[in-house]
Amino acid sequence: MPVRSSDDVPRRTLLRRFPVPRNFNVSPESRIETGKTWPAPVGTTRTRKFAIYRFDPHAGRNPRIDTFEIDLDDCGPMVLDALIKIKNEIDPTLTFRRSCREGVCGSCAMNIDGTNWLACTRFISDTREPATIYPLNNLRIIKDLVPDLSHLFAQYALVKPWLQTKSLPPERERLQLPEERRRLDGYYECILCFCCTAGCPSHWWNPQRFLGPAALLQSWRWLSDSRDEATGERLDELEDPFRLYRCHTILNCTRTCPKHLNPGKAIASIKKLLIERRS
Amino acid sequence: MQRERPLSPNLQIYRPQLTSVLSITHRLTGVLLSVGSPFFVIWIVAAADGARSYAAFADMLGSPLGLALSFMWTFSLFFHLCNGVRHLVWDAGYGFELRTIYTSGWAVLAVSALLTVIAWIAGLRLGA
Repeated sequence: MPVRSSDDVPRRTLLRRFPVPRNFNVSPESRIETGKTWPAPVGTTRTRKFAIYRFDPHAGRNPRIDTFEIDLDDCGPMVLDALIKIKNEIDPTLTFRRSCREGVCGSCAMNIDGTNWLACTRFISDTREPATIYPLNNLRIIKDLVPDLSHLFAQYALVKPWLQTKSLPPERERLQLPEERRRLDGYYECILCFCCTAGCPSHWWNPQRFLGPAALLQSWRWLSDSRDEATGERLDELEDPFRLYRCHTILNCTRTCPKHLNPGKAIASIKKLLIERRS
Repeated sequence: MQRERPLSPNLQIYRPQLTSVLSITHRLTGVLLSVGSPFFVIWIVAAADGARSYAAFADMLGSPLGLALSFMWTFSLFFHLCNGVRHLVWDAGYGFELRTIYTSGWAVLAVSALLTVIAWIAGLRLGA
């Protein structure tokens, strides 16, 4: 049964992870150790284990995996509810970002059961036993599930995500036809949760030089805006063997986007525009 | 001294999906085909060199190891070909809906397996 939408959770998986050693290609400070287990309270019938990545910057120790067993009869339906329950009732040091709890802010993006998604829009019933919770991939960790996103936002800033014009400003707003506005559908909705960039193998291998799907989708959002007048300069900035062309159309980005957007298609559109400009 | 912050795991924990698995298979089959191409050249040179050389090479090719390698190379060729076509379609800007990505991915796997089997049946019949 082919996957139809990025929120399809596979019922059966041949492999939970690639057949490489646990600490394959991992620097000494990033090696993960086994941590504590917090069993469910006595008398609970419906439980789910959560294996969660922990890192305490002040402990002077390596990251570890703690396992928390949760009573599902006394917990909200979402993974974020379980995390909040753990923080409130079991271990107040558990640290994660969250805000809107309805999939519009992008704060609680994390790796749940091996793929990136928002903790607030993933049902606990769609996770496996034990549910594995890691921070977004390939980022320096500040604490527990909180990665340092500065570099990803710097890459976002590099595509100049704002309207650039050369013509004199009109008396009133810069107008747009409804069909011109519709070309931005599927691109303007990005909430910058960075699920896609963190899940992109090409970005894992070249995080410094490849801009990654999130920044490139944003770039396409401005390239395709009828009011923007800097298309040439934007394309000049992207015509580079690494910034754009390190995308090898793996499409983990489109598979993982919690807003059902299509970074893979956006990047292909940029590549096409560059070819059209040359001919 | 401030310890360096750990890097969160990537390849070690990310779930294998059709998207990434076919991508790495495309790269792998490309490498296998490159490794195989000198053998292809040796085969042609052996044929040009005469019956004795060719017979020696054919013996090697007919050994269990030779057959296994040839089977692997046949599949690599067909997979790289089919998935290459899939990439061409993408480069033209089509086939990016998630449903299409998955359907075309499974189709590439099925067609390359089918072509491999057909090629081997045809080859073994001709040889017999």
